[in-house]
Formats: sequence, structure tokens, C-alpha cells
Amino acid sequence: MKLSGYQLFWMTSISSMIMFSYIPITLAVNEAHQDAWISILLGGGLMMGVTWMALRVCMQNRDKTLVRMTKDLLGTMLGKIVVAAYFAHWFLQMSMTVKDMANFQNLVMLHNTPMPAVLLCMLFLVFYAVYKGGITAVSRCAEVIGPIFILILYVQLFLNPQEMDLKRILPVYADSGWLQIVMGAFSAFNYMLDPTIILMLFFFAENKRTASRGILWGTAVSAGWGLLATFAMLAVTGPDMAAKMVVPVYSLTKMVSILNFIQNIDVFYIPLWLLGAFIKLAICLFILSYGLSEWSGYRNWRRIAGLLTVVWLGYVLYSAQIVQFSYMFRNIWLTGVFYPALYIAIPLLLWIVGSIRKRQQAAN
Amino acid sequence: MRFLLLLPCCLLASIALSACTDFVEPNQLAFVMGTAVDRAEGGLIEVSDQIVIPSQLSGPPNRGGGSSGDAGSSIVMSATGRDVFEASEKIQRKMSRRLMTSHRIMLAVSEAFFNENDAGKLFDKLGRDPANNMRDMTIVVRGGSAKEILMLRHPLERLTSIAAGKELQINGLTKFSSRQLILEHYTDGLRPLLPVLQIEKVRTSSKESTPFAALSGFAVLNKQLRIKGVLDENESAAAVWMSGKGAYQGLTIPWKNGKGLLSFRLVHLKRTIRTRSCGDSKCAELEVKAQAYLVENTTSLDMSQIRNMTDTERYMNAEIQRDFQRTMNKIQQWGPDIFGIGEHLHRHYPYWWKSRQHDWDERFKTLDVTVKADISLISIGSSGGQMK
Repeated sequence: MKLSGYQLFWMTSISSMIMFSYIPITLAVNEAHQDAWISILLGGGLMMGVTWMALRVCMQNRDKTLVRMTKDLLGTMLGKIVVAAYFAHWFLQMSMTVKDMANFQNLVMLHNTPMPAVLLCMLFLVFYAVYKGGITAVSRCAEVIGPIFILILYVQLFLNPQEMDLKRILPVYADSGWLQIVMGAFSAFNYMLDPTIILMLFFFAENKRTASRGILWGTAVSAGWGLLATFAMLAVTGPDMAAKMVVPVYSLTKMVSILNFIQNIDVFYIPLWLLGAFIKLAICLFILSYGLSEWSGYRNWRRIAGLLTVVWLGYVLYSAQIVQFSYMFRNIWLTGVFYPALYIAIPLLLWIVGSIRKRQQAAN
Repeated sequence: MRFLLLLPCCLLASIALSACTDFVEPNQLAFVMGTAVDRAEGGLIEVSDQIVIPSQLSGPPNRGGGSSGDAGSSIVMSATGRDVFEASEKIQRKMSRRLMTSHRIMLAVSEAFFNENDAGKLFDKLGRDPANNMRDMTIVVRGGSAKEILMLRHPLERLTSIAAGKELQINGLTKFSSRQLILEHYTDGLRPLLPVLQIEKVRTSSKESTPFAALSGFAVLNKQLRIKGVLDENESAAAVWMSGKGAYQGLTIPWKNGKGLLSFRLVHLKRTIRTRSCGDSKCAELEVKAQAYLVENTTSLDMSQIRNMTDTERYMNAEIQRDFQRTMNKIQQWGPDIFGIGEHLHRHYPYWWKSRQHDWDERFKTLDVTVKADISLISIGSSGGQMK
């Protein structure tokens, strides 16, 4: 299973954009109002930095996945615990994405279809792709879906010119102040991009140089999209209305009216988002099952993927019953401790340990 | 064996993928083109939906000597409820088709509803339910219920809601969508200005005069969405232009000596707000800009004379300035800042604004606002002197 830099570009950009289009904009607008774009800029910059750091770590350990990497650098016990935290993160992310996807479809289109039916279709597709082709199949799909997905999502931001008033982002800074802007960035950055998946995916890259270039570009493309989407959101609806939106990017498509004739184009966007979500979920399922097989020593990761899908389905069905789970993304322990640790602290630790090791080896 | 395993999967998928569980054919849908909101007894809301009858829509509108036109191409269903959704559900129960509001053009709310209810209640339904597109025009119905407006027939269009939408559009008034209204409601330094429809009797033929709904002015609303006043036709033209929401494109002024009139067609209408500090408070200057074409001249002026042209231009500007200032003063007395001067101050003097945003309606009354006009006469039409 080998990935080219080009494929990695599409995979990171799709899965980052899926993350971006859902929660962070609303979170940032809630805190920083019309200065949300500064929050997004700060958060996006931070996450670009995190991606760069993760890439440094990967380059130091270019022939290892995250599981072996942590084991070598931090020792067996600690390494296993650290990786387990990443597994939990991916699993939560997967569950959240797929549950919101199903809920969204029920809300917008399929009012009567039972939620498990929507869920089953998606899970089956994701499992099938991962089981049959592993990451190769997923990356091929990403290559096909990516160009359409990214182009159309970018185009969407410019379909509302007559409704836009860029002055709505004024006054800059005065209304919110640094504290709120930083708070906005702080609560939103966790959900902006997707830098942890590369810790697993980089191992599969064929040419490490082009791969890291592809990943950085992919992240930058989706960060740029997120920033533009925030601008578009603020310009079309103003901060007060944007703060109340649950699915801002969807609401943006609802407002498109080209020459009073082309309207209700959300119908075209929903399938695209589903395709994007498919890529995101398939990547997560693959790295999770591959990682678990390395972690546990059980060689057949395909079987693990099957088992995992069942657990995943069970968890989503169970958590759908409990409303509190839907608002977990605002949990202070998650946003304040768990995510920063996974995104910043652990990669930093790995980088430092890796650098020290290297220097020692050179000295010997 | 493998085939047997795959078969149920495919069958299951085919049911779910074709969305059979949510199967609604177009002939099971009722398209709502307009919705009216009225006040009902006991604090209830009366919602009326104007629904097109598809079978009446095919073919020319007045086929067979107007028989199908008389039958009407729409029906109005109404019901009362404690909120919008409850009332809509009651309508739904009486219908053979599923109501579909995604294509609504007009949301008519009666004046009484605005004055006696918290109209902010409507927004929640508009924003929360994805079945609303928020592109529909919001209008105020004066003198009578909003429901009546929907029931009227329009001599030109099939439905009154289409007529109202087109009437606004053709006159260049585009920024009155419900999204715009919600936005204005949330913005601290801007108040809503809504078009007002009124039922007028018009003699459409020698035999009869039919009532139909026509734009009669604009309503000025305050922060709590109460109507503070309704502008008449002349003031409306000024107010709409000054609030930057599009404008009527004609203008007629009497000449200095009172003999004769000058009429202009205006293009490229713009307005700009400037603010500056003067003393403790702020002063605002609102400038309207346009290019004018002379289209009718019943004065004795010979427009091929350059002196007359510059004279006319100067006089026209002075006239507009005086006229618009009067409208401005009137609205200032009412209080609501429909021009967004507060928002302009907010953007330019954010710290000054912070302490004053809460009682802006009161402060706007005493704000010093000057109206300037900068209209250039760019053409005198195709004849120089007056045609006699």
C-alpha cells in the first residue's frame, strides 16, 4: 500500500475541509463576533504549525507508523497509552462525524427514514472500501472526489455576491478585544483541520519529500477555504445571525439566488458533503484498524476493521439516544486538555525526544 | 454463497438509497407561494398559506373567456395556533398534499400583528426550520388583514404574492428579504424599513373596479419591531433611497417660478454616509448620488442652453436636499434609524458607540444629520427646446 504526494494532498484537504465546514466557524463567531476571522486566522495558523511539527516528527521516523514511533521513542508502556489516546480521538471523531451526517440528512431531507438506515449505508460503504482496498482504494476515491469537492466548495463562497456586504466585519477588534478573539481561536482550533491523521498516513507515502509538500498544501488549501468561508458567512449574515447557526455552510447555500432563478442549490451540495464525509470516515477507519493491529499484535487489520465497524455502529446508535453526547464538542476537558495534548504536546514531545536521540546517535 | 450474502445487502441498500421511506412525488406537494400572518383572538397567530393549484396553472391564464381566471389559480388556507408551526400543521391536516415552503415569495404580516405581538417570534421558525429559504420578501399589510391580500386576484399576475414580489423588483427595491429583516433586527445600529401593501380599488375596465394590493408606502420599525410610522409615497421614495435599499427611478420637481414641471429619470442611485465628531456628539452627513436624464419638460426653459442646464442641475439638487431633509427630520422624530447611521458610527467610532448603543432610538432623535444631494444632469433627452 503506497500513497503518492498528490493523493495525500487530496486526502488531507478533504478531511480537513469536512472538519472545517461543520463546527469551528460557529464556535469562533460565538466568542469573537465580527472578529471571528481573526480567530480563524490564528487557529488556522496554529494548526498549520501543528501540521508542520507533525511532519517533522514523521520525517525523523520515516519508516514507522505512529504506533512504532511512540514505542521506540517513549518506551512500550507509555507509548501504548499515548497511542490509545489517539485511537480514542479518532474513534470519537468518526462517531461524531457520522452521527451528525445522519442527523443532518434526517433534518434536511429524509424526515421519515430511520436514522440507522442512513447510518448503515454509510458504514457499509466505508467498511467495504477499507476492507477491499485498504488505503489504496480510499486514496483513489479521494483523487476522484477531491478536485470536484474542493472546486465546488470554493465556488460556493462566491455565489452570494449581491447579498454580501464586507463592511459587516467592521469594526475590527474594538467590539471584542484580544481576550475574546483568543478565546474564539482557542475554542475553535481543535475542530479546524485534521493534523493527526498524517502521523499514520505518512508511513505509507512513497516519496517522503513530495508527500510532505502535498500534506502542507492540502492543509493550507483547506485553511484558506475556512478563512474565506468565515468571511463569506460574516459578509452575508453578519455576526449576530451567524452565531446562531448550527450548520453555517449549509445555511450559506440556502441563501444563494443567482439571477432570481438558480435557487435551493443545497440539493447539489449535500451529496458532495456525503462524498467528503465518506473519505474522512474511510481514512479514520483505516488508520484506526491498521494502528490497532500493530498495537495489539494481531496481524489481520481487515478483521479488526470489521469488528470496529460493528462497535462503531453500536456506539453511534447508543450515543444517539443521549443528547449530551451531541454537545460534547464544547466540553472544556476535551477542548482544553485532550485535544491540545494530542495536537501540540505529544507531537512536540516526540519531536524533542527524536531530536535528542538523533544527536546522541551522531555523537556516538 | 457469496452471492447469497450480497443479495440482501443490495436489496437493503436499494431501499435506503432510493429514499423510498421519504417518497414524495411532485404531485403530492402543495407549493406555498405566499404566507400571511395575522393576529387572532386570545393571543393566537393566524397563518394563511396561498397555495397554487397546479391544474389551473397550465395554459394561458385567461383561456375560455376568463373562466379559469375566475376560478382562481390559488387557494388560501388558514388556521390559528399558538405559534407558526402549530398553525401550519393545522393547515397541513386539511390538505391532500404536503406543504412546501421552499419557494415562497412573500411573507405578509399585518400591521396589527406587528403592533400587538412580538414579531421576533416569527424569526425563530424562519431561521430554525431548513424548509424556509429566507429569500422571500417581507411586507406589512395595512388596513385589513394580511389574509385578504392573499385572497385578492391580481389583474396581471396569477397570484398576488408573485405580483408583490415583481412589483418590488421591477421598481428596483430588492433588499427586503426576510433574511434582511432578521439581520436588521439583530444589528444594533440599523432598524427595519418594510414595504407596505394596501388594498386599492382600481377601475380596470369600464364595467367594474377591482380591488387589488398595491405598494402604498413604507413602514418604519423600531428595535422591538413595533411600527413607529408609515411614510407616504413621496417620503418613501426619499427614505428608500437614503437607506440604500434601492430606489424608485423617477423624479418630478416644479420649476422655481411655479410654472411648469421637470421630470427626470435617475440611474446609478447611490448613497453614502459620512460621520465626524462635532463637540461631544457626532454629526452625520448623508449624501445621495445619481445621474439624471431629463425626460419631460413643461417649463419655458430651453435646455440646449448650457446656462439653463447648470441652473436646472443646481436647482434640482437644492430641491432634493430640502425634500429629503424633511423626510429625514420626520423619521428622526419617530426615532428608528432605518439608514444605518448608527451602524456607520459603530464601525467608525466603536468605543464611542459602546456606551450609546442601548438607547440608540432615543439618541438618533437628536443626532445632527444633514442630507446632501449630488445629482448630475447628464442628458437632456432628444430635444433641446420644449416641444410645442
